[in-house]
Amino acid sequence: MDFDLGEQAATLRTRLRALIATAIPEDYLGAFTNDPADLDVAQQFCQRLAHEGLLTIAWPTRYGGGGGSMWDQTVVREEMWAHHEPRGAQYMGLNWVGPAIMAYGTEAQKQQHLSAIAAGTVIWCQGFSEPDAGSDLASLTTRASVDGDGYRISGQKIWTSYAGMAQWCVLAARVGSGERHEGITMFLLPMDAPGITVRPIRSMLGYHHLNEVFFDDVAVGPDAVLGGVGEGWAVIRQALAHERVGIARYARCERLLSALGAALAPHWHDLPASLQGQWAKALVQVRVARLLAYRTVHAQATGEVPDVLASSARIAVTQCDQAVAEVLCQAVEERALEAGPTAPLYGAIEDHWRYAQAATVASGTIEVQRMIVAKALLGPRA
Amino acid sequence: MNPVLPTEAIEFAATAAKAFAALGGVDAARRAEEEPARREGEVTAALAAIGAGDLDPRANPDSLAAAAALCETAGTVALPFPLVGTLLRDSQQRPFAVVPEGLWRVDHGDLFPQWRVASLTGGDTIAAANAAPLGSRLGPFVTDLHALDRPTGDPRPLDATPHPDLAIHLTLTAWHILGTTGRALELAVEHVQGRVQFGKPIAAFQSVQFQLADCSVALAGLRELACFTLWRLTAAPDDALTDALALRLHAIDVARTVLRTTQQLHGAAGVCDEYDICVLIRLVQPALRLPWGAERTTEALAEAIARHGFEGLFPHGLASR
Repeated sequence: MDFDLGEQAATLRTRLRALIATAIPEDYLGAFTNDPADLDVAQQFCQRLAHEGLLTIAWPTRYGGGGGSMWDQTVVREEMWAHHEPRGAQYMGLNWVGPAIMAYGTEAQKQQHLSAIAAGTVIWCQGFSEPDAGSDLASLTTRASVDGDGYRISGQKIWTSYAGMAQWCVLAARVGSGERHEGITMFLLPMDAPGITVRPIRSMLGYHHLNEVFFDDVAVGPDAVLGGVGEGWAVIRQALAHERVGIARYARCERLLSALGAALAPHWHDLPASLQGQWAKALVQVRVARLLAYRTVHAQATGEVPDVLASSARIAVTQCDQAVAEVLCQAVEERALEAGPTAPLYGAIEDHWRYAQAATVASGTIEVQRMIVAKALLGPRA
Repeated sequence: MNPVLPTEAIEFAATAAKAFAALGGVDAARRAEEEPARREGEVTAALAAIGAGDLDPRANPDSLAAAAALCETAGTVALPFPLVGTLLRDSQQRPFAVVPEGLWRVDHGDLFPQWRVASLTGGDTIAAANAAPLGSRLGPFVTDLHALDRPTGDPRPLDATPHPDLAIHLTLTAWHILGTTGRALELAVEHVQGRVQFGKPIAAFQSVQFQLADCSVALAGLRELACFTLWRLTAAPDDALTDALALRLHAIDVARTVLRTTQQLHGAAGVCDEYDICVLIRLVQPALRLPWGAERTTEALAEAIARHGFEGLFPHGLASR
C-alpha cells in the first residue's frame, strides 16, 4: 500500500501553486462574477497555462497534450478547484468536450475545435438537461428535424452553465421519433447561430451559472453532428465517464479550512469546544472524501469500471462540501452573512456556502448516485 | 499510489475467516457468553492454527496489514477474544490495552493474569484484573484492572510521550469495528431481500435502498481511511497518534450510524440474540466506548490537530502558523 501520489505529482502541484500565486489575485472567487475583470483573469490564466503546456496536460500527446497520467489530472483538478477554478469555464472543454471530439469527431471537427480548446480561447457550454429531462436525461425532447442534408433544432435546455459567455455548445437532441436512447444525437453548434436565445436564471449560485437556452428552428449542417446520428448516448456516456470522478470539491473545502484556521489561530482556544470538535470532524471528512476520490482514480487507472466507487465518492465529496460549508459559517458566526472583499476570506466562506447547496444536485443528483450504489448492493431486481 | 491492502493480508484474512467459520462464526461469541471459560481454549487454538501468534504489527508494514485484516475478520464474528491486545503483547506475553484515565476497563481483561496498559497521555503500567467481568449485556467480558506498580488512575502530564503501541492499538481496534460494521451491512442486505411485506421484499422500497446506499458509502470511506491510516503509521510515524485518533473517531461515527440503520432494517429481529446483528451490535460496544467514546475522541483529536497539524493538501493546526 502506498498513498503517495509520487514525485511527478508533487512537482506539478508546486508548479501550479507558484503559477496561481503570481497570476491569480488573493481575493479571486472565480470567473463568474458580475465583474468582467474576473473573466479576464481566467482567460489570461488559461493562456498562461497553455503557454506552459499545462492546460492540456491530460490530453494525449498526439493531440498536442502533455500525455499526463490520471494522477497528474487529479492534481490539476484539485489545485484548480481549490483556488476557485481559475480556468473559468474552460474546464468543460478540456475535460470532456475535447476528449469527446478526439474520440468521436471527424478530422474536420478535430481541426476546427481541438486547437482552440487547447489554446484556452474558446468557451463551451453543455446542452443536456431539459425542464422535463434532468436525472432522466434519456427522456429529452429537443428535436433535430432533417432539413435537406442538415437539421433544424428546436427545443429548450436548462441549467446550462456559462451559456451566456460560451461561443460553442455541445447539444443533445433527438433525430426521428425514437424513445429513450434511440435517436439521441450530439451536435456541435455555435452559440451565435440565429434562433438561439439565452436567458439567465437568477439563483443563489451567482452570475452565469445557470441559464435557460431556447433553440427556435436553429439550422445546422450535417458537419455539426458529433459521432453519428443516433449515437449520442455513447458520446454522453463518454462525457459522463470523464465526469466520473467529479469536481475535487474536497480540495477547496480543505483550502478554506486551512485559510480560516490560520485566520482564527490567535484565538483558537477561545472557540467553543464543540466547534473545535466539528472542525476536527470536518478535516476527517475531507480526508475520507479525498481518499474515496483517489480510490476511484486508482480503479480507472488500473482498468476497472468504477461506477459504484465513483458514485460513492461523489456522495461523500458532495456531502463533505455541504458539511464543511456549515462548519466554516459556524466559525465566523454572524459574519457568515457578509459577501465581498471585506467579508471573512474575501467572501469565500459566503460564496462556498451558497455554491455548496447545489453540490448534491449538479452533474447528477445524490439520489441517482444512491440508486447506483443500492443497485450494486441489492442487484438489479430490487 | 496503490490504496489496496496487500494480497498476503487479504489471503490471511480469508484463512482466518474459514477458521472463525469453523468455530461457528457468531455462535462462538454466543457460547462464550454462556460459558466464558470457553474463550481461552477454542479461540486461542483457532488463532494459533492460522499462525496469528507469529504476527507482530510493530515489525513491518506487511505484518501490520495482515494484523489489520485479521482484526477486521474477527470483527465480522465478534470473536470473543482480546485480539488487538494480544497482537501487541510484550516479550512476557502480556497483552497491551489502552485504558481511560480513570477506571481501567478492558474487554476480556480477565483472560490474562497481567496486562500492559497505557492511557492517551502516556504511561506503561502493568495491571491485573480486579474482579470478574461485568457480565452485562453490552460488556459481558469487560473487566476492571488495577495497577500492579502504581496507583490506578495515576495522572500523567498532558505532554507525556504517548506509548509507542497506542496508535497501532487504536488503528487495529478501528479495523475490528470496520469488520463488525461491514458484516452488519451484509446481514441487513440479506434480511431486506428475504423479508416480504406488502407483497414484496422490503428491499424494493426506495427508502430502504437509500439507507443501505448511505451505509455502503460510509463503509467505503471508512475502509479507505483505515487503509490510509495503516500506511501513515509507517510513512509518517510522528503523526501516528493524530492519524489513529482520526480513524478511531470516524470508525465510531460510521459504526453508530450503520449499526443503528442495519438494526432498524431488521425490525424486531434486530434486538433478538437469535440474529447475528443483535450479538454483533452488543459485543462491539466495548470497542466503541473503551478507552473513550466519540466525544472524548473528538476532543483528543481536536487537541492533537491544533498541536501537531493534520496531513492534507494544505497546512492545518496551530504549529504550522
